[in-house]
Amino acid sequence: MADEMTPREKVFGTDDPAKAGASPASHPAADAAADAAAPSNPPTEAETARDGDGNPPQAQAPAQPTSTPRSEPVKAADDASGAAAVEQPVEPSPGEELQARETVVETQKTEEAPGTVPTFEVTLRIRRYIPETDTEPHWEDYRVQVHGTDRLLDALHKIKWEQDGSLTFRRSCAHGVCGSDAMRINGKNRLACKSLVKDLNPDKPITVEPIKGLPVEKDLVVDMEPFFQSYREIMPFLVAGGQEPTRERIQSPGDRERFDDTTKCILCAACTSSCPVFWTDGQYFGPAAIVNAHRFIFDSRDEAADMRLEILNDREGVWRCRTVFNCTDACPRGIQVTKAIAEVKRALLTRKV
Amino acid sequence: MTAGPLPVQTTQQGRPAGTLYRGDTEGMWSWVLHRITGVLIFVFLLVHVLDTAMVRVSPELYNETIGTYKNWIMGLGEAGLVAAVLFHALNGIRVMLVDFWSKGTRYQRPMAWTVVGLWVVLMVPFLIRHLSNIFGG
Amino acid sequence: MSTPNAPALDAPRSPYSRTKSTRSNYELYSWVFMRMSGVVLVVLVLGHLFVNLMVGKGVAALDFAFVAGKWASPFWQIWDLLMLWLAMLHGTNGVRTIINDYAERDTTRFWLKMLIYFAFVVVVVLGTLVIFTFDPCPVGADPSLLPSFCQA
Repeated sequence: MADEMTPREKVFGTDDPAKAGASPASHPAADAAADAAAPSNPPTEAETARDGDGNPPQAQAPAQPTSTPRSEPVKAADDASGAAAVEQPVEPSPGEELQARETVVETQKTEEAPGTVPTFEVTLRIRRYIPETDTEPHWEDYRVQVHGTDRLLDALHKIKWEQDGSLTFRRSCAHGVCGSDAMRINGKNRLACKSLVKDLNPDKPITVEPIKGLPVEKDLVVDMEPFFQSYREIMPFLVAGGQEPTRERIQSPGDRERFDDTTKCILCAACTSSCPVFWTDGQYFGPAAIVNAHRFIFDSRDEAADMRLEILNDREGVWRCRTVFNCTDACPRGIQVTKAIAEVKRALLTRKV
Repeated sequence: MTAGPLPVQTTQQGRPAGTLYRGDTEGMWSWVLHRITGVLIFVFLLVHVLDTAMVRVSPELYNETIGTYKNWIMGLGEAGLVAAVLFHALNGIRVMLVDFWSKGTRYQRPMAWTVVGLWVVLMVPFLIRHLSNIFGG
Repeated sequence: MSTPNAPALDAPRSPYSRTKSTRSNYELYSWVFMRMSGVVLVVLVLGHLFVNLMVGKGVAALDFAFVAGKWASPFWQIWDLLMLWLAMLHGTNGVRTIINDYAERDTTRFWLKMLIYFAFVVVVVLGTLVIFTFDPCPVGADPSLLPSFCQA
């Protein structure tokens, strides 16, 4: 089983950047879910809204992947003049607000004339650690020129490509799907590819650190193995007995909805490494493992719910969750992590799924 | 018992220190305060049982022990204790709602502010009463 | 996930395995107990604080006669006994959780736990004995310090 967990991202800056070619990114979650016939989730409205202000909306829009109005954002390009439009307070109902924000975000990406996009200088204060030369981590400041449309990942690239080639970080898809570039940005776990620099209070130095609680290997790269170990332990694959059906395993929309939220996990470790209980000794299974257990425990086609619940009943399992809500706050996919953990706890108490 | 020394500790604690994690404002700070108040109350509880045990020795000794508490410094300490107990109790109810109420996780932030509000509302009459007791003689 | 320059790094936690799974419901019961005792304690402790600090002359009125007057009634005896036991269990379990979280070495963890278990036993035994063997009108004591019903 360990084979399918091989490193899924290329690590930049380790040896020769040119050699770090595209390795086939076999994603564990994708493998696991293949049998479950789960539809891949395009970002929902709620997720995109997080880009705007970094805070998940209180009332999550029900995750309906189909209803995202992706097609008509270009229209708003005429009246929205750059960043100013983002600041416009959009008060009405949560649904409308989300749509409006999304439109603005889309607008900026499709803007053609570079002159209309504001350009400014920012300082990135990056926590560096190069094991060959450093005995301990230290902070280093970089000044970079960025556009209003740039994400933190773009700024990191600029530093790496133009100023200091030794800067090391992971990234792969750069679109918030692969889960490679979770890092601690201004003290919070975020994906570098989903954080616009202009939203990160660019007047002050932006701090960038590796995620907390996992051993740092180099600069922003941490050893993810303890994280994936927990993930493996909860058996992230469909367990279904009996004769294999000749067609797909049928599931009602209601049954599918039951675990929809937790199918969105991209295993970026933002949640687990935001958890104060995980920081202490790293023995706690952590939110991500519980979320992925939840995804199968509440799947009507799966038959190993009892086994997974028993694993999470462990001393290092769900009972170590102290409902701090850092994980819910950190999740770049807007998963209600604490809610999922609470549901697993309740399932353990009643032994009913 | 858990595994031995962990690399997490050695690599993460390098100087200069990293930033403070800025997690979920309401959730994280409620948890921090819940822990701190819990430990404070526990320590007080140990002392409180021991001093109350003096009633078994003699009335004089108990009155003497309790007499050392009757000054304004201890009075303020008692106010702090009540403040801690009230927060711990109210936030404990919030935690239980998060755990057992299906909508609890969604409303954890308003509930945290409700805890703060109720705490203030309950502390004001108590402080008026208690401070007039300890300063009014 | 091993890198060629491994010697320069901290040895990763090896092997990446959790201590043997516990296969017991101990943590479940302890979690449930914290919540159940918590509810009861809210009533008991806030009632206790209200009667001792808010009613009458408040904290200034506390003395032997006050305590003796309270414990002359079985109602307050049971109230205080229940509060003692639940609060000590709740508190000890809470501190145990904190020790589990923050103690880094197994030996530290073990001895800190022994310390709080010892404190638990001492305080609970002492408190229980005091409540049960308490005499509100001890022979030979100064009558002015005793509750009024001792005159009879």
